[in-house]
Amino acid sequence: MVDAGFLVAQLVNALFYSSILFMIASGLSLIFGITRILNLAHGAFYMLGAYIMYTVMTALPGGASAVLGILAAGAIVAVIGLLVEAGLLRRVYGKPEEVQLLLTFALILVLDDLAKMIWGPEYKSLTTLPWGSLSVGDYTIPVYHLAAIAVALASAVGLWLLFSRTTLGKKIRASASYPEVAEALGVDTRRMFMATFMLGSALAGASGALAGPVLTAYPGMGTEAIVLSFAIIVIGGMGSILGALAGALIVGFTRTVMAVVYPVLEVALIYIVMAIVLLVKPTGLFGGREVERR
Amino acid sequence: MKPSDYWALVLVFALLAVAPALAGPFYTRLLATGILYGTAAVGFNVLFGYTGLLSFGHAMFWGAGAYTVAIGMVKMGLSFPASLALSLLVVGVIALVTGFLSLRHTRIYFAMLTLAFGQLLYAIALKWRSMTGADEGIYGVPRPLGDVVLYYYLILGVSLVVLLALLRILKSPLGLAFRSIRDNPFRAEVVGYPVNRLRLLSYTISGLATGVAGSLYAPLQTSVNPEALYWTFSAAIVFMAILGGSRVFIGPFIGGLLYVFIQDTAMGVTEYWLLATGVTLGALILLLPEGIVGYIWRRLGGRLE
Repeated sequence: MVDAGFLVAQLVNALFYSSILFMIASGLSLIFGITRILNLAHGAFYMLGAYIMYTVMTALPGGASAVLGILAAGAIVAVIGLLVEAGLLRRVYGKPEEVQLLLTFALILVLDDLAKMIWGPEYKSLTTLPWGSLSVGDYTIPVYHLAAIAVALASAVGLWLLFSRTTLGKKIRASASYPEVAEALGVDTRRMFMATFMLGSALAGASGALAGPVLTAYPGMGTEAIVLSFAIIVIGGMGSILGALAGALIVGFTRTVMAVVYPVLEVALIYIVMAIVLLVKPTGLFGGREVERR
Repeated sequence: MKPSDYWALVLVFALLAVAPALAGPFYTRLLATGILYGTAAVGFNVLFGYTGLLSFGHAMFWGAGAYTVAIGMVKMGLSFPASLALSLLVVGVIALVTGFLSLRHTRIYFAMLTLAFGQLLYAIALKWRSMTGADEGIYGVPRPLGDVVLYYYLILGVSLVVLLALLRILKSPLGLAFRSIRDNPFRAEVVGYPVNRLRLLSYTISGLATGVAGSLYAPLQTSVNPEALYWTFSAAIVFMAILGGSRVFIGPFIGGLLYVFIQDTAMGVTEYWLLATGVTLGALILLLPEGIVGYIWRRLGGRLE
């Protein structure tokens, strides 16, 4: 008989991991949906978030520093995103995909090494998580995990409200769908792209900040995260926030369950699930319309 | 005289044939790596430059080739030629399966799918310890002919055969069909080409060429590790092709050689060689989007694809 406490602990683990994944993947999907740039360096932004969190939490002990760390990571990475968009990616809007992809790939190499320069090559982890833990039977559930899940939920709701209820959201969508019309109606599409890039980057930074204390920060953590985000987006459907949520839950739960049941297939099964979804519904679970011209 | 694909190939390989006499063993080995990278990149470019599909997962063919030869020689005790044959079989099957699935999409979605399938192979190599040695990989792969210089000539010879075969295919009616799909898939379909089957064929030919290069790489290094399958190497292959120039047949080959030397130079200059490589790559992509060979080729009056 499997212990109920064990199940609850694993459920929280899976939800925590899904939350992290949702925040990275939704940022990536958002940026791609609006600017048509698939930012490979998005994973490096996530890594920077984790390092910033580490620095803030080691500099300032106490539970409040975690909140500060998440906010700082989101804000700093948003500014980095802004610099990258305005200084680099703006030059390649509408250029061939390989140019965009390789430019953002070059950016990964630069950011990975900058992180090594600033924080050193070794893994950075915290010995204890803030805010203590609850106990369920023989198992403990860190409050930190629950907080992270709440942050991800709040982001999901926030994104949904932004794009369905606010003028800003409408302006951003219009800038992507009908740039000429949007311009003619007085929308500064360039600023909308900047805002989108900052928002998506902030999500990656905050996600890294949430993940850092649990999964440790290290150079190269971004290159792993970015491919999982691709799998999530393919499973959920490109450009769909709901799809990112569904994809993140599928990947998060698959990985958590397999880590316990059969670790050999822990990562491989994610891609197998992706292949199956693709066979059954090529546009992904929530990608409705025809996704591309060939 | 306008440059031609065949003469460029002859010239480059003639230079590479005399190179070991001038370079020491270190640089001979580096050149051998460059030749294999270059051959892998030309293979990639059959799909990208000639068929119009951007794969971000070519490390899967490179790595599958390298692993199969290593497993064949070390774990199964096969000879080098037998391991190479086995490796072509494995790479071919992988190409057919992943190609069938990935080719349900094109453009950026195709790129993401190939990348994800590459990661699937990486995940398998990382976990299947008894077969692949997990994160440590496989050591003690015997090098055919023993000596680095002799093996260099084997690599050079096999690469030449692969490139000549690819050039032959690309100049044939099949190559023209690939180009017509690249330029306008709708029109190709209307004219009666079986577009999806031809794409799968191009994908498989492309994968096999890259797989051969990877197969020769394991004995050169006398080892193989999961890095050979990681997606960043797929990105590196794309980079080599663009660096040299994807619109000239020999372009990606030169790109592979240049890539090895950019990386080696950066490593010699600074501890932060990734940063140096990244800045160089970024600058080249922005300043010379047609690639170094592409630029020279156009200046010489050659025809770009």
